Amino acid sequence: MTDALRYEWARIITIRSTYWLTGLALAFAMLVAGAASWGFATEADGGGGSQAQLGLDLLGPWLGTQFARGGAPYFVGYLLAMIGILAWGHEYRHGQIRATLTTLSSRTSVWIAKYVVVNAWVAAVVSACYWVAVLVGVVWLRNYPADLVTGETVGGWGRAVLHAGLLCSLAMAFTGIIRNQTAGLVLLFLWPLAIENVITLIFFLVPRLREHEALTRFLPFGAGNRIHSDAFPNLGSTTFGDPLTWVGGLVVFGGLTVVLMAVSVVLFRRRDA
Amino acid sequence: MAVIEARSLGKSYAGKPAVVDLSFDVQPGSVTGFLGPNGAGKSTTMRLMLGLDKGAGTTTFDGVPFTSLDRPMHHVGALLEAKPFHPTRTARNHLRMLASASGIPARRVDEVLEQLGLSSVARKKPRTFSMGMGQRLGLAAALLGDPHTLILDEPANGLDPQGIQWIRELLRGFAAQGRSVFVSSHLLPEMALMADQLVVVGRGRLIASGPIQDFVRSSRRNAVLVRTPQATDLADVLRGRGATVEAVEPGALSVSGLDLETVGDVAFDAGIRLHELSPRTATLEEAFLEATEGAQEFEAHARPEPGTTGSTTSGEEAS
Repeated sequence: MTDALRYEWARIITIRSTYWLTGLALAFAMLVAGAASWGFATEADGGGGSQAQLGLDLLGPWLGTQFARGGAPYFVGYLLAMIGILAWGHEYRHGQIRATLTTLSSRTSVWIAKYVVVNAWVAAVVSACYWVAVLVGVVWLRNYPADLVTGETVGGWGRAVLHAGLLCSLAMAFTGIIRNQTAGLVLLFLWPLAIENVITLIFFLVPRLREHEALTRFLPFGAGNRIHSDAFPNLGSTTFGDPLTWVGGLVVFGGLTVVLMAVSVVLFRRRDA
Repeated sequence: MAVIEARSLGKSYAGKPAVVDLSFDVQPGSVTGFLGPNGAGKSTTMRLMLGLDKGAGTTTFDGVPFTSLDRPMHHVGALLEAKPFHPTRTARNHLRMLASASGIPARRVDEVLEQLGLSSVARKKPRTFSMGMGQRLGLAAALLGDPHTLILDEPANGLDPQGIQWIRELLRGFAAQGRSVFVSSHLLPEMALMADQLVVVGRGRLIASGPIQDFVRSSRRNAVLVRTPQATDLADVLRGRGATVEAVEPGALSVSGLDLETVGDVAFDAGIRLHELSPRTATLEEAFLEATEGAQEFEAHARPEPGTTGSTTSGEEAS
């Protein structure tokens, strides 16, 4: 297992895409935090008064999650999930898998090492993005009565790491199953941004489905977003209520991820390389 | 030093057999050539041997299956793909990545790069590499763990004549150290110079295995060339002794089924004057084409049938 971990570590640090995706995530985190902080400061300077203070109080602690706590997609997580897709995608796109499996003969070790190393990288980068964003806000808004680092901020960090790890693992599992990097990348964005929205729209438009519209809360990526967005003013009441609590979202999104990972490891062990 | 024992290897794709009950040995201290037409199952066999494909049968290296080897790079070096690396990971980083899984130090990476003539491009991205350079990098990976066995699928593809000679000497030297080399190639003249043993397959089945000389010697293309002013008389006498006789040009016969000495004696006993009596040894290519006749998965038709728009079919191995 140690050999597989060393191999995967060497793999991830010797490929250019790891760095540009990581850099892009950090840049995006700083950009959004900077833009939001500039907006808060401008509004406060312009005499926004209580309105400006309300914005700071409400949204300030969400800087680290890039406002995913308000329901926005956690773009940093999506960027970093691409590192997971490439972890399997490169193996199959470039025939690297045969070199890998003639170097490490235990397929299970190869599979585990990929998840461990990629998720460790993702967790580290998400943490960096999160705290860099918070730091940008703290520095920019230091002269304003902003409470940007609260218990909620720390909780948001944990949920950001959890969501990004699950998203990355799901993307890895899917790419491992279909063994196609392009399809993995397309699905990562198409499913949450188009497919789930279309399904929700159908539930809204079709009269007989409309009465069951609340079921759409179980659509996996939407449920996954609840890991972040179970926050005031959209707090879940019971685990699987409408809306889901973050634990409910974790169970739905995490459950799908675990199922796909199980399928992925079984196929990886059984299929021809 | 490893003996490779492949036993009852089998593999089908969608019900179509690619490898059928294939068994053979590869002895240490020899280069064993693996020959077969396109689609004969060579690449599939190699993948089965290394546990990359799931199928029937077993392959052991000194009694141990590949998937049970601890740090397999130290035991078996393999080259199965023309360019088995990421195009933007530098050559040195590619080897360092492989080395990291087997406890191989960085200085060994540099040694192998030097040995394979890749030092000057060690920090370059392989996407700019020619096919020959790609093959060298693949070979460098195979040699990285200083293994006792090499399994190489078409390693000479894309190499220039100097490269081919270099790889021949490399593999001969490797075998001379008592190690095992199992190598497939379509370059039959090269294989004739390089291999000691052969495993020949067609449509996934074993056609022949053993020393290369025995394989060539068994060819019906081996013959005795005779020139005589009494060709008709000699042909009749030789046919009476069971030989197959073919007139190759006026006054010249190609005789098979009798050895050179017997042909000479028969002519002498019959009072027939000879102007030339010489052996004609089949080439490996002739022996191979004869042995694999009808075993091609894909055949090219030299002349299109009238009224057809095209007639040539070809393909890679079914996999």
